[in-house]
Amino acid sequence: MMIALDVQMMLEDNGYAVLGPVGSVEGALRLLDDTRPDAAVLDGNLRGQPVEPVARRLRGLGVPFVLSSAYDNATFADHEALAGVENVRKPVTEARLMVALEKALS
Amino acid sequence: MDLDELYRVLRGSHVQAVSIVNTLRDPLVVLDDAFRVLTANPAFYDTFSTSRDETIGTALADLGEGQWNIPELRLLLEQVIPRSTSVIDYEVRARFPQIGPRTMLVSAQRLNHPDSGQRILLLTIVDATERQQAEADKDILIGELGHRIKNLLAVTRAIARRTEVEGRNAEEYRDDFLGRFDALARSLAVSAQHSDADLAQLVHAVMKPWLGDTRAITLDGQGAIALLPRQAMSLGMILHELATNAIKHGALSVPGGQLDIAWSLAEDREGHRQVHLRWRESGGPEASPPEATGFGTRLIRFATEVDLRGRAELSYRPDGLVADLTFPQ
Repeated sequence: MMIALDVQMMLEDNGYAVLGPVGSVEGALRLLDDTRPDAAVLDGNLRGQPVEPVARRLRGLGVPFVLSSAYDNATFADHEALAGVENVRKPVTEARLMVALEKALS
Repeated sequence: MDLDELYRVLRGSHVQAVSIVNTLRDPLVVLDDAFRVLTANPAFYDTFSTSRDETIGTALADLGEGQWNIPELRLLLEQVIPRSTSVIDYEVRARFPQIGPRTMLVSAQRLNHPDSGQRILLLTIVDATERQQAEADKDILIGELGHRIKNLLAVTRAIARRTEVEGRNAEEYRDDFLGRFDALARSLAVSAQHSDADLAQLVHAVMKPWLGDTRAITLDGQGAIALLPRQAMSLGMILHELATNAIKHGALSVPGGQLDIAWSLAEDREGHRQVHLRWRESGGPEASPPEATGFGTRLIRFATEVDLRGRAELSYRPDGLVADLTFPQ
C-alpha cells in the first residue's frame, strides 16, 4: 500500500499523470478496457496473483512497461510476457525507475 | 531400531527376530534370491492395503500393480546379494493401488536365512510422502516469510521517504516517522496474534498512545469483525494519520474537544459485508481541508480506496472533522 503510493508520488513528481494504481490483476485489466496508458509499472504479484495476464494485455496494446518486484528475474523466466522486461526491483529508487521508464518509452 | 541392528538380531535368533519384525512400524519384506517375497510384516500389509495371499510368493516386480518393477531398483538389488552391498533410501515415486500417489524410500541388506542358510534380501520401506510434503510446505512458508520481510522493509522505507522534511527539524521528523512506524508495528502485532485481526483490537492498539486517562475519546463497536492482515495494516495507518491530525490541528488539540470512533458491520444491497467506521471529532476548532494535500491525507484516501477498495468521505465541519470509511470485509 505504502509502496504503491510512494511510486505514484515519484511518478507525479516527475511529471507523469498516474491512472492507477490498481491493487489486483482484475482491476488492472478493467482499467485497460477503457484506457490506453503511455507506460505502466507492474509489481510481479498482486494480492498473490501473478501479474502476467496484465503484461500480456499491455503487450497486446503495445504499451511499454517495467517491472518492480522483490522477486528476482528468474521467477518470471517462465512467463513469456514478462521475459526481457526490466525489473527495477523493490524497493525502487526514484532515479532507477525514471531511467527505466524513459528507456521503455523511447 | 535401524536396519543394521535388525540384521544382527536376525542372524542371531529366528524366534526373537520374527516378533521384532512383526512390531516394526515400517513395512518390511524378505525376498529370496529370485526376488520373490518369503515373508512380510503386518506394517507392510497395512501400509499397502494388501493381504498375505497377494504377497507371499509373489515377485517384487509383480506386487501391487507393478510399482516396484523398476529396472534401476532391480539392478541395485542384484548387487546386494553377491557383493553384500546395501541399498539405502532408494526413492520410489508411484501411484499405488488403494493408497494413491506415494514416495517410498527403499533400503535393502543381504542376510543368510536363519534356517536354510540361503542368502536372502531384507527390504525395508519407509513412506516419506508426508515428510516430503511437510518439507516442501516449510520451504514455501520460509520463502513467503522472506518476501514479507522484504515487503515490510520496503514499506518502512516508503514511510521514511514520504514523512515530511520541509520546514522541520530532525527531532520533529524523527517523531513523525516513529509515530507512523509504531502504528505499523502495532497493527502488525494485532494480526500476528491471530491469523485474522479483530477490528476492535486494532482500534485499541493504534489509539493506545492517546487513550490514557482522558475521557475525550470514546470507542464504540459491537461484536468481533475479522480483518485480513493487510486490511489491518492499512486501517491502522489510516487511524494513525487521523489521530495525529486530530492532536495537531483537530478536536484533540484543544481542551474540551471530543473524539468518537464507532464501527459496525452491515450488508450492502448485494449482500456483501461492509465495514463502516466513523471518526467523529467535535468541540474542536473549525475543520478545513488542507491547503496542499499532504502525505497524511493522501495516505488516508489511498489506503481506503486502493488497498481496502472502499470509500473515504471526509467532511470538514465547523466543530471538527468527520471521516466515514466504508470498505468490504
